Amino acid sequence: LRVSVDIGGTFTDCVVESERAIETYKAPTTPDDPSRGLLDVLDKAAGASGESLEQFVARVDRLFHGTTLGTNLLLTRRGAKVAFLTTAHFRDVLEIRRGVRNLGESVFNQVRPPYQPLVPRYLRFGIPERTLYTGEVELPLDEMSVEAATRAALAEGCEAIAIGFLHSYANQEHEHRAKAVVERVAPDLHVVCSSDVLPTCGEFERFSTAVVSAYIGRAVSTYLRKLEQELRAHGFGGTLLIMLSSALMRTVDQCHARAVELLASGPAAAPAAALAVGKSFGHLDLIEIDMGGTSFDVCVIRNGSILTTTGAWVGEERVATKMVDIHSLGAGGGSIAWIDSLGLVRVGPQSSGADPGPAAYGKSELPTVTDADLVLGYLPADFFLGGEISLDVDRAAAAIEALGAEIGLGLADTAVAVFQTATVSMAGAVTEVCTKQGHDVRSFALVAGGGAGGIHGAAIAEHLGIPTVIFPTAQPVLSAMGMLIMEIGQELTKVGVWSRTEVPAEELEATFQEMIAAEQETFRLMGVELAEVSFARSISARYQGQFHDVAIDVLGGEDRVALLGRFHDRYQEIYGYSLPWRAVEILECHVRGSVSQAPAAHVTQTGMPGALEEARVGERRCCLRGTPVDVPVYRRELLQPGHFFAGPTLIDSRTSTILVPEAFDASVDADRNVILRLRHAVATKACARAAAEPSA
Amino acid sequence: MTNGRPEVDPITLSTVWHGFQTICREMRHHVERTAQSYLMAVLHDISVGLWKANGVTIAMPEGLFDQFLGARFVIEDIHKRFGEDLYPGDVIVTNDPYHGDSPHLPDWGFIRPIFHRGELTFFTLVRGHVMDTGGSFPGGYFPNAYDIHAEGLCIPPIKLYERGVPCRDVAELIFNNVRFRDEMRIDTQAMISTTAFGERRVLEIVDRYGPELVDACIEEMIKRTERAMRAQIAAIPDGVYYGEAATDDDGTVLDEPVWIRVEIVVSGDEMTIDFTKSDAQRPGFVNRVLAATYGTAFGSVLMMMDASLADYHNEGSLRPLTIVAPEGSVTNARYPATVGGSPVAVGGQITDAIVEALSKACPGRAQAAWARHRGDYTFANDPRTDEPYVRTTFDYDGSAGAVAGYDGATGPVVHGVVLRGNVEEAEIRFPWKMLNLEIIPDLMGAGRWRAGAGIDWRAVNQGSEGRMATGSSDGDEMVPKGVLGGYDSPKSRTFIQRGDERIRVKPHRMQELRPGDVLIKLSSGGGGVGDPRERDPLAVQRDVRDGFVSLEAAEKIYAVALDAESLDVDDQRTAQLRSRQATRVEVVIDGETLTLGLRELG
Repeated sequence: LRVSVDIGGTFTDCVVESERAIETYKAPTTPDDPSRGLLDVLDKAAGASGESLEQFVARVDRLFHGTTLGTNLLLTRRGAKVAFLTTAHFRDVLEIRRGVRNLGESVFNQVRPPYQPLVPRYLRFGIPERTLYTGEVELPLDEMSVEAATRAALAEGCEAIAIGFLHSYANQEHEHRAKAVVERVAPDLHVVCSSDVLPTCGEFERFSTAVVSAYIGRAVSTYLRKLEQELRAHGFGGTLLIMLSSALMRTVDQCHARAVELLASGPAAAPAAALAVGKSFGHLDLIEIDMGGTSFDVCVIRNGSILTTTGAWVGEERVATKMVDIHSLGAGGGSIAWIDSLGLVRVGPQSSGADPGPAAYGKSELPTVTDADLVLGYLPADFFLGGEISLDVDRAAAAIEALGAEIGLGLADTAVAVFQTATVSMAGAVTEVCTKQGHDVRSFALVAGGGAGGIHGAAIAEHLGIPTVIFPTAQPVLSAMGMLIMEIGQELTKVGVWSRTEVPAEELEATFQEMIAAEQETFRLMGVELAEVSFARSISARYQGQFHDVAIDVLGGEDRVALLGRFHDRYQEIYGYSLPWRAVEILECHVRGSVSQAPAAHVTQTGMPGALEEARVGERRCCLRGTPVDVPVYRRELLQPGHFFAGPTLIDSRTSTILVPEAFDASVDADRNVILRLRHAVATKACARAAAEPSA
Repeated sequence: MTNGRPEVDPITLSTVWHGFQTICREMRHHVERTAQSYLMAVLHDISVGLWKANGVTIAMPEGLFDQFLGARFVIEDIHKRFGEDLYPGDVIVTNDPYHGDSPHLPDWGFIRPIFHRGELTFFTLVRGHVMDTGGSFPGGYFPNAYDIHAEGLCIPPIKLYERGVPCRDVAELIFNNVRFRDEMRIDTQAMISTTAFGERRVLEIVDRYGPELVDACIEEMIKRTERAMRAQIAAIPDGVYYGEAATDDDGTVLDEPVWIRVEIVVSGDEMTIDFTKSDAQRPGFVNRVLAATYGTAFGSVLMMMDASLADYHNEGSLRPLTIVAPEGSVTNARYPATVGGSPVAVGGQITDAIVEALSKACPGRAQAAWARHRGDYTFANDPRTDEPYVRTTFDYDGSAGAVAGYDGATGPVVHGVVLRGNVEEAEIRFPWKMLNLEIIPDLMGAGRWRAGAGIDWRAVNQGSEGRMATGSSDGDEMVPKGVLGGYDSPKSRTFIQRGDERIRVKPHRMQELRPGDVLIKLSSGGGGVGDPRERDPLAVQRDVRDGFVSLEAAEKIYAVALDAESLDVDDQRTAQLRSRQATRVEVVIDGETLTLGLRELG
C-alpha cells in the first residue's frame, strides 16, 4: 500500500493507492502540531476501508510526505533565533551579500527597503581560523573562540547556530570541529555547517543557505522526529520518505542537517502530477496552478520539462540548493480580504489559516476568499469536505458585509470584488512566470489543482484567455498525487576539481563509484529494491577561464576524447558556438539515482456513459456577472467518461467544487478528468493554434 | 483592422512588451554564462538592448546607462557609414567614443542588424567591459594618456562578420593589438553569439504575430510609456532645479576638482537637462562624449521617476526629455580628448547632480548619492600559472545612499546594476588573499534615513610586483552628497601597507606594487536623507547594538543618548540633546591609526 500526505497551510491532503483504486482525503491542518492533522487524515482513510488507524497504518509500505512547515516559518519570519559563526574579519558577508537582492529588479526602481538579514550583526561572531582554496589550513581553528561565541549566543537566547567558514567546500575540518565544540557546550542547540548543506564554492550563497537551514531546521527536525515516532507507535513498519524542494526524496534521518531542502517540499511534487495528466492529452506546454487555503503556487512546464533552479530566492533569502522552479503568492481560500488606504479591496497575503479559518467555519469574523465564494453560491454550505465541515452562510455574509461597509459596498458587490481581486492577483502571478518570460499564455493549457483551484481555475483562465483548463481527478490533492507517481530520486554532487584540465579517467570512475555506493546505501534505507535503481552520471564542465558551467551526461565506456567532443557539441547547441581549441575544466561530478514508481492504478472506462441527469444532484443559486442565477450542480463522483455539458454549472465533490463559468464547455474524459474549453476563444493565431490541438 | 493597422489586443500587447524585455534579460544571462572576464561573467559589467532600424528604443531593461542608452548615436553612424550595405549575418564592432556611443575604449559594443523577410527591422547591441583594449596599461583606466589614441585601440563601427562570414584580417589586426588575446577572443565570441541569440528570439516574436502586429504593439508601447512619462513630469512643479557634483581631479591636473553642474528645467510635461554651467573639457581623462552624457543623464532621470514604470521604459520615456551639453564641455568633449576615466569620474557625477536636482523637485522620492566607486586595475603576474592577470572588482566599494522612507542597503553598488564577487572565487582567480571584508561603523552619510554602511576591505598581494591604476576610483575629497538635510558621505581612503611604511594612494594615479603589499580600502557608504536628529531613537539604538553607529556618533550626530552598557535609550537626555542647536559633525579617517574620529564643524 502506498500513501502520500501533503500538509498545506490549511488542509492536509492524502492519497491512498490500493490494488484497485486511488482514494483522496482531506483534513484540516493542525498548525500547533501538524502531525495530528496527518494522523487525522490517515484515520479518515482507514475509516473508509473499515479499518482502525493501526490496522491501516500497518499495511502501508511507503509513506510519502511533503510539508510547507519550513516555507511558512521563513516567509512569516517565525523561525529560530540563529547565531552565525564565521571566519573572523568576514562576518558581514550575509548582510553585504553580492549587491542588490535580485538583479531581475529594475535599476529604474530605487525606492525599496534595505535587506534585514535573518541573523542581525550582533549575533554574527568572527572566529579566528583560515582555510585556503586549496583546502590547506593556514590558521588553525581557535576552539576557545567557538566556545566563547556559543556561550554568548546562549546568553542571547539563540536556539540554533549556523557555521560558515571560508573555503569549507574544499576542507570541512574546521566547520566540523567547530560544530563538535558547539554541541559540547550547548547540546540542545540546532547546528548547521555550510559545507554539509551546500558543498560548493561561493561563500555568500553557501552561508545564506546554511543560515536559512538553521532558521527553520530546529522546528522541521523536531516535527519530523515526532512524526516518525508517532507513526511507529501506531504500528507503521514501512518507509517514510520526505519530499524535497528539488523533487527528490530523503529519509527522515537525512533531513535533520539539511532542513533547507524541505522548503516548499509539497508544491514541488504538483508539477509531476500535472505533467502526467497533460501528457495523456498530448499537452506538453502547461501552466500548473495549485490554490490551497493559504497560498497559490504556479509552475510553467514547457515542452514537457519541469525546470529546476539553483538561483532561487525564497522571500528575501538566497537559497542555492536545487529547487523546482515554482512561483508562490499569498492567495488562497483562507486569504483575508481587506481595504487598503486607497479604498481598494485587497486579498492576502495574510491568511486565516486552518485555525480559526474563514468566518464561515464559525470561529472568526475574518472575511476571506472562501467566505466570498460561499456568499456567491459557488461553494456548497452543506457539502464542504463532503459535509464534514458545515459552512455558516450567515456568518460569512456578515463578515463580507462588514468589509463592504467600510467603503459603502453592498454584500453581493463586495463578494464579487473579493472574488475578482483574488482572480486578478493570481492571474498576475501566472503572467509573472509566463507572459513576463515572453511565453504567450494562450498557447498553454492550465492544469488546476488545490482545494480552491476548482472554483478559481477557470476564472483565471478566462481572465488570461487560456482556452483549456484541466481539472485532474486528483485536482484537490495535486501535490500528494505527484508524490505517489513521480520517480524516487536522489542526487549526489562531488566538487573541488578546480582548474584541472587533465582529470584521469580512473579518478573520475572511482569518484562515480564512490557516489553510487553512497546512494545505494540510502536507497537500501528507503526500502527500495536496488536492482530497480538506475544511475545516471553527469559532469559539469566549462572552458578554462569561464565562470559558469554546462552539464553533460557521462555515458558508459566512453573515452576522454569522446566525452570532450560531446562537451563541445553541447556547448554549441546551447550557445551557438564552441571553442575546441580551448582547454576544458571539469568542476563537478553528479550521480542521479532513480527508480520509477508504478503508475497510479486507475479504472479507465469505455463505452457509452449513462444519462447526465443521473449525476445531477440539484441546483444552487449563484451570483454570476452580478445577477442571481440558478445553476445546475453535478456530483463529480457520479460523472462518467463522455459526459458533456455547458457552463454555467457547478461540480461538487467530496474534496472540492469546480465552477464552470458561462464561457466554458465541460467534458469528462476516460480517466474522469474534467476538461473545460473556452467556447469563444479570442481569434488570434496563438489561440487558433492552441484550440486546434488534439484534445483526447 | 482599423485604418489598415492591425488591432492590438491587451494580451498580445502585454506578451510582446514583456517578450522584448525578457529577451534582453536572457541576452545578459547568455553573456554571463559564456564570458570569461570577471567583469562580465561575475560582476555584470554588460549592457544589452533592442532598437528599431531607425534607432528608436524598444527595450532597455539591463545595463549601465552610458553603455547603451545612447545607442541611437551609433545606429545613426552605422546608417551613414554603410547605407544599403548591411546584410543578415553582419556583426559590427566598435568602441570608438567619437564615432559611436562607447563611453570609453574598453566598452566594446557588438551590433547586429536584424532582418525580417529581407528588410532591416531591428538592431540589437551587446556591450561589455573587456579585459583589455591595448594602450598604455591594461583595463582602460590609465590616467595620463596623451590623447584618445594613447588610451588604446580605437575601433570605429566596422564589420567583424559579413553575411555570417568572419572578416579574418580585421580580427587578426584587432587581436594582435590587445593583451590576453585568447581570453579576448572568448569574450568577443560570447558577445557575438549573444547578438545571434537575440536575433533568433526577436524573429520568433515577429514570426508568431506578424510584423504588422508587432509594429503596432511597439507603437502602442511607446505611446503608453510616453503618456505615463509626461504625466509624471507634469506632476512636478514647473521650475529650474539645480544640482552639482565633482570628481577629485582629472588625473593630469592633480588635486583640482572637476565640476558637473546641471539645471533641470521642468515645463509642463517636458524636461530639459542643461549642462551649460559644467566645467570645460579637461586635459585629463574625465571627458564624456555626448552619447555617453545622453545615456547617463536620461537613465538617471528615469531612476527618479515612479517605480511603477520601471519595467516598461522605451523610446516613449525619452521623448519628453531634451539634453543641452555645449561642445567643448566636459559633458560633450571634442576629439581627441581622453575619456578613459569618465564612466566613474564625471559619469557618476552626472547621475549625482541630476538625482540631487530632482530630489529637490520630488522630495517624496528624494535619493541621496551612492558611494563612489573605489576601483583599481591591478596588472601583474600570477606565480601559480606564471601568466599575467588584470584584476578589478567592485568588492571594496561602499553602499547605497538612502532614499526618502528607507535607509540605504549595505552592499549594493552602482545602483544595483553590477554585482560583487565572492571572496572564494576571487582568491581562486587572483593571487590576492583577502584579509578583511566588514562594515566600518559611522563611515556613512547620517540622516533620518541613513546610507548603507562603509566597507573596510583589505587584501595581501601574493603575486609578483606590478602596477595599479586607480583611474576608476573617486571620492577621497569630493564626496557623495546627502539630501534634504541628510549628511554627505565621509571621505574615503586607500592605503598600501608595505612593512612599516604606509603609503596613501589617491584616485586617478599609477602606483607600483610589491609582493607582500597589503592593500587597504576604507570606503564610505553613501549619502543620507533628512536630518539625523529626526531619526527614530530605536533605529539608532539598533544601529549601535549592531555596530553600524558608535555610541559617540549616536550622541553627537543623531542626538540620541544611550546607556553605554544596556544601550537603553535615555529619553530625557535625548530630548535635551535634540532641543539644542544642531552642530554638524564630520567623520574623518585617521591615516595613522586607520580609526575614525568625529570632528565638530564650527
